[in-house]
Amino acid sequence: MENKNKYWKGLEELNNDPKFLQNKRNEFAEGIPLEEVLTDKDGEMTSNRRDFLKYFGFGISAVALAACNKTPVKNVIPYIVKPDNITPGIPNWYASTNPTTGVSLLVKTREGRPVKIEGNPDSPIFKGGVGAVDHASVLELYDNERLQSPKAEANEVDWNTLDGKITKGLSAAKGIRIISGAVNSPSTKKAIAEFSVKYPQTKHIVYEPVSYSAIIEANGQSFGKAVIPGYQFDKAKTIVSFGADFLGTWISPVEFTKQWVKNRKVGTTNNGAKTMSRHYQFESNLSLTGSNADVRVPLKPSATSVALISLYNKVASLAGAAKLSSPGDVEFAVNMIENSAKELWANRGASIVVCGTNNVADQLIVNAINSVLGNIGTTVDLDNYSNQTGGNDAAFETFVNELNSGAADAVIFFNSNPAYNYYAADKLISGIKKATISISTNSVADETTALCKFHAPDNHFLESWGDVESRVGFIGLMQPTISPVFNTRQASESFLRWSGNFTDYYTFVKNNWTAALGGEAGWNKALHDGYTSSMKTPVAYTTSVLPQDAVNAAYKAYTSNKDKVELSLYTKVGLGDGRYANNPWLQEMPDPVSKVCWDNYAAIGKVTADKLNLKDGDVITIKTKTGVIEKIPVLVQPGQARDTISIALGYGRKAGGRVGANVGKNAYSAVSFNGKTFVYTAADVSVEKTGNGYELPQTQTHHTIEGRDIIREASLGEFVKDPKAGNHKHAHIITLWDEHDSKGHRWAMAVDLNSCTGCGSCVVSCNAENNVPVVGRQEILNSREMHWMRIDRYYSFKDEKGNKLTREAGLAGNMLKGKDEGLINDETDFENVRVAFQPLMCQHCGHAPCETVCPVLATVHSSEGLNHMAYNRCVGTRYCANNCPYKVRRFNWFKYRENDQFDFYMNNDLGRMVINPDVTVRSRGVMEKCSFCIQRIQAGKLQAKLENRKVKDGDVKTACQQSCPADAIIFGDVNDKNSEIAKLFNNERSYVLLEEYNVQPSVSYMTKIRNVDEELAGGHTTHSTTAPGHAGHEEAKHDTAAHANAEHAH
Amino acid sequence: MRFLRITTLFALLASSASFVKADVAEGEKLFNANCTSCHALNEKVVGPALKGINEKYDEAWLIKWIKNSQALVKSGDEKAVKVYNENNQSVMTSFENLSDAQIKSILEYIKTPPVAQASVAPSNGAGDATTEAVAPAKDSIYNNTTFIALSIMAFILFLIVFVLYRIKKTVQGIYDAKFPEQAALELEPVVDVRTTWKYKLFTKHPVVGTILVILGFTVALGIYGFNYGQTEVGVQQGYAPAQPINYSHELHAGKYKINCLYCHNGADKGKQATIPSASTCMNCHMHVTASAKYDGQVSPEIAKIYDAVGWDAEKKAYNPSKQQKPIKWVRIHNLPDLAYFNHAQHVKAGKVECQSCHGAIETMKVVYQQSSLQMGWCINCHREAKVDVKNNDYYEKLHEDLKAQGKSYATVSNVGGLECGKCHY
Repeated sequence: MENKNKYWKGLEELNNDPKFLQNKRNEFAEGIPLEEVLTDKDGEMTSNRRDFLKYFGFGISAVALAACNKTPVKNVIPYIVKPDNITPGIPNWYASTNPTTGVSLLVKTREGRPVKIEGNPDSPIFKGGVGAVDHASVLELYDNERLQSPKAEANEVDWNTLDGKITKGLSAAKGIRIISGAVNSPSTKKAIAEFSVKYPQTKHIVYEPVSYSAIIEANGQSFGKAVIPGYQFDKAKTIVSFGADFLGTWISPVEFTKQWVKNRKVGTTNNGAKTMSRHYQFESNLSLTGSNADVRVPLKPSATSVALISLYNKVASLAGAAKLSSPGDVEFAVNMIENSAKELWANRGASIVVCGTNNVADQLIVNAINSVLGNIGTTVDLDNYSNQTGGNDAAFETFVNELNSGAADAVIFFNSNPAYNYYAADKLISGIKKATISISTNSVADETTALCKFHAPDNHFLESWGDVESRVGFIGLMQPTISPVFNTRQASESFLRWSGNFTDYYTFVKNNWTAALGGEAGWNKALHDGYTSSMKTPVAYTTSVLPQDAVNAAYKAYTSNKDKVELSLYTKVGLGDGRYANNPWLQEMPDPVSKVCWDNYAAIGKVTADKLNLKDGDVITIKTKTGVIEKIPVLVQPGQARDTISIALGYGRKAGGRVGANVGKNAYSAVSFNGKTFVYTAADVSVEKTGNGYELPQTQTHHTIEGRDIIREASLGEFVKDPKAGNHKHAHIITLWDEHDSKGHRWAMAVDLNSCTGCGSCVVSCNAENNVPVVGRQEILNSREMHWMRIDRYYSFKDEKGNKLTREAGLAGNMLKGKDEGLINDETDFENVRVAFQPLMCQHCGHAPCETVCPVLATVHSSEGLNHMAYNRCVGTRYCANNCPYKVRRFNWFKYRENDQFDFYMNNDLGRMVINPDVTVRSRGVMEKCSFCIQRIQAGKLQAKLENRKVKDGDVKTACQQSCPADAIIFGDVNDKNSEIAKLFNNERSYVLLEEYNVQPSVSYMTKIRNVDEELAGGHTTHSTTAPGHAGHEEAKHDTAAHANAEHAH
Repeated sequence: MRFLRITTLFALLASSASFVKADVAEGEKLFNANCTSCHALNEKVVGPALKGINEKYDEAWLIKWIKNSQALVKSGDEKAVKVYNENNQSVMTSFENLSDAQIKSILEYIKTPPVAQASVAPSNGAGDATTEAVAPAKDSIYNNTTFIALSIMAFILFLIVFVLYRIKKTVQGIYDAKFPEQAALELEPVVDVRTTWKYKLFTKHPVVGTILVILGFTVALGIYGFNYGQTEVGVQQGYAPAQPINYSHELHAGKYKINCLYCHNGADKGKQATIPSASTCMNCHMHVTASAKYDGQVSPEIAKIYDAVGWDAEKKAYNPSKQQKPIKWVRIHNLPDLAYFNHAQHVKAGKVECQSCHGAIETMKVVYQQSSLQMGWCINCHREAKVDVKNNDYYEKLHEDLKAQGKSYATVSNVGGLECGKCHY
């Protein structure tokens, strides 16, 4: 069956918005602003021939004068005593761990400075995956706004003076509170314990702005283990998630992506597998996880609890377990809850239910469901639990009150910034001001640090020793890859000093582990490997705890908020809770779903936006019962649940660095406290329009492919019947060119659209590897982003038969015709869009259209199948970009590395340290594009030559491939018949983009397979108001059960 | 014929003179090759100072000692045991490979070191910085003296031409005045002015004339500017800057034949050949101070290394209180950042001799840039250089293909060595 879906990137494309059409026609949105230079204010051309001669004369004399400079003498300064393991020009790799995410890393250093972070492929948990935030962490090391020395009462002091003042102050304090983010380091915990012994009036409070307090609390109640479990999505055949964005931001996204994708790979990518897990997602905003789910149900926040109760009761009735007595049946998403319950039961023990709300009752129900299904001990692991995040909301509330009452008069902020991210920041700030001694160990002058009397700045983790217990039994070790850049000291060491222990932190950590690891050799091995693992086999737990008392309240909240607008707060893949706001790589990484960068916004569904009379670019003020979010721009977001508004946390920073300051709006003010936990939703909000015409820097329709057929997909059922499903179309090909003979290497890439989650890790990895400049908000608005690879996100309406909106209709410019004919239904279709991600980089065409139009032969073909780009030959005609059907070429409009207008990192000496010395930094006026990481290809080949052998498969890995947590990108030499790429480049699911042009790309894509057959057979994920016919419904039930059983049998 | 006879005579004289001194010269060579790592003439290094041993010990004993000192000590020779104990029982290397005659010539050298040579000794590396440091290399555009000399000569030539022209004019004037008829006669064939090229060019078509003149100037200036600009964009062939230490490759690589890779040990490993760290120098210069040539003082050039690493020459130990100072060498070979060059690729994989690009480095007292390092120069070599496909498994398939085609070799350009992306990325 041929897939006729129309794929669209944004509503402006769908609606043929005039601005979109104009941008589409002018790929380079702006010409050179000559007139601006040559006209005066009144718009009259004032320049004339005389001026021209003046400028000309000046130009010539300036050039002549400039030429008088002597060539500068360059020095070359060798080491005095060369370290044995450093040879200039050859990178060194160190295993380490990111303490914030817990991910195992390999750090590449050149001449003693870290330049690139990659995943540690040996790590049993993370298996070489790395997230965007891990990649970008290396840039924070070279932030010239980090605190450069300790400070006491705004004066720079030395560490001894600071320690003296602090210990004196602490000894006199009545109540000391350490406020920290989740602490996952055993040694740091020990240091804090020593500190608490010395100062018995100490309490350590874990405060996470995006808190997991409810999960901890609920597991304590259900199982007597107050922890965040480890989850094993790889063991789950059915996955049901209620608002948990586990592929994007929830607890440990890199780990979960690795697990999740294991059961998603089919066909040649997974030894011919013909089964897939099925993933249901119930959520308000279209998250990264939701956009990858097979079945996604838009759900209001107030409906989550009710849906969970309903799911529990359905599972319980199948299991014959005790039910929750509820006041009525569910009224929405009835079929999908029914379907998921049946599938969960069919796959009991190999299924998983997770929930992202910070509500204890919700989490208790989730525990009950998993317990009834027998998932605890298989997919939910309470023994090897996670330390990656945490939170104790009630304790933090108490602390704020104590601070104001004076019961706590000393406070240490360790890796924590509540003055920014606590909802009642004013109350906290007045409390901090009352404290007699306030200390911050944060490494930048953020909102909280600015209020503190003493600054004891922490090292960056790449300058530090440490241990990170991401999951219990899995210890990642951290080792410094550079001496501290500034006069900073590791916070854990500070705690030791203040408690009178003068051991240096390295010895302290080593002493903690040497015995357990079997002596010096064991320690060295663990340090070399980057981790040591002794995880147990998890045990099954059951619970009979049911939150019966919460049921009525949940129903009441649901019914009373019907048709009222609700607010849900979420975090973005890039910025997280705001701690990465000062990282320009992450700011510029487009949001995986909305493709907006450098801003947050109020995401509103189309129906709700129409109801509230709002459109893209309007500015609104949102009032909840407890807080206000002022003047936030609107983005009409397909997939957004009806009557909801979603806003990302982590924006609107006021301090902590020039990059993140005043980007977006702070939404923490809308968080509230319900007596037990922080609540990230708000019911019944009022919306007031305060302006319009705000432009969001959104890349979704830049580099548009004009609606051409470049996404191919099929359902799992179709794929099982015919592995080539959805991939039958082949173009009639004629050619003008001679074939290349490719005898040596032929480098090629395969991208598995079925594995790609669109997380954006590859984009940041590419930035770091290839010195891609950051261009900032305004230049994104001008469509001048420089990213060498982009991830296109396509929406389509949910109907594989092509009844909704076909490509042909779309191409004819009749996007709205479908609507006129009743095929597109605003009521539900914009909420139930399907999403496909497609990473797009230079396709290295065999018959590259760019090559034939370059007047100076700056871009030419290589014998190894690459499309070379010689920057110093390029004169910037941009013909190549105009002729590229994939729109992957980028033009340097500015000299980003020297221009203070782009004050991110490349314009200062410290920031430039991160530049990869093996890749040219491009100048203004030249084209650039993905090179297939040619520097890595050359290095891999050279290594083989030096070792007198052939290049082995896997010797050369591109930066995007190395970092992909989903292993969606495979690279290699297709002429090596035994290589993975030779198998994957051309298999039953492979296709090349725009085959009809016969440009012979070196990148092939594999069709996306969705596990949605039951849905096709009649089940619908629609709102109750548009419930389908009864017959279809019955059929769906039947199919589901049959399929689920069949799957179970596998 | 007479000329030939005289030269022969001179040659004979010269050779006989050198024959007389052969012993000492040979001794010096052997001494430098074998002894200097532990001995100096006038001071104690590892072993004792050697001046005066000829008087102290008899020659036969010395030969025995040098050949195998340990055997002598073990035999219970009184003098030998005494020397052994006096020097902290450190064992002297045996030199059984040296013939008696060679040892004799070494002893001859120790007895009468050529004093004159020692004090100037430019060939011995640690020469005087002021005389050697700025020694210009051949063909250098930086060679100001040559440039000035040429300019003066050009000026003189111009002056001569000018004077000759004036003389001719004056003589013509006198001649014309004397023989006006003759002059008129000669003027007769003068044709219509309007047909001369000057008239045509400058009077009739002034624009064309002006353009041509300007064009001429432009071309002339352009040629000059091109040459000048080349140096400005980094084409610095012949560049021979003064270095902070007057280090002689002629001495180390030429005379002592130290392997290039001993110091430049990155050349077969990675991108950079690497400048050796000062600690590498100290491997030898901990002992070698060249004090023989500086009246017992450490050579001022070697002292610069000591200064950099914080070595106390008196105590023969590192002085931790001395601050270490890196040596700021001047970089000679400056490739632009846009070109990627990897030494290991050329030295190890390509088996290219260092000298192919760097010139006869073993003869350079001051290193200069031998090659232009321009792209054309790279490309030329890539067109001609053969790839050793036989002895590297990396090229196994290519080798088979070549054999099948009946070819015996491939050049670098055949394996894609001329493609932009091989060096520019």
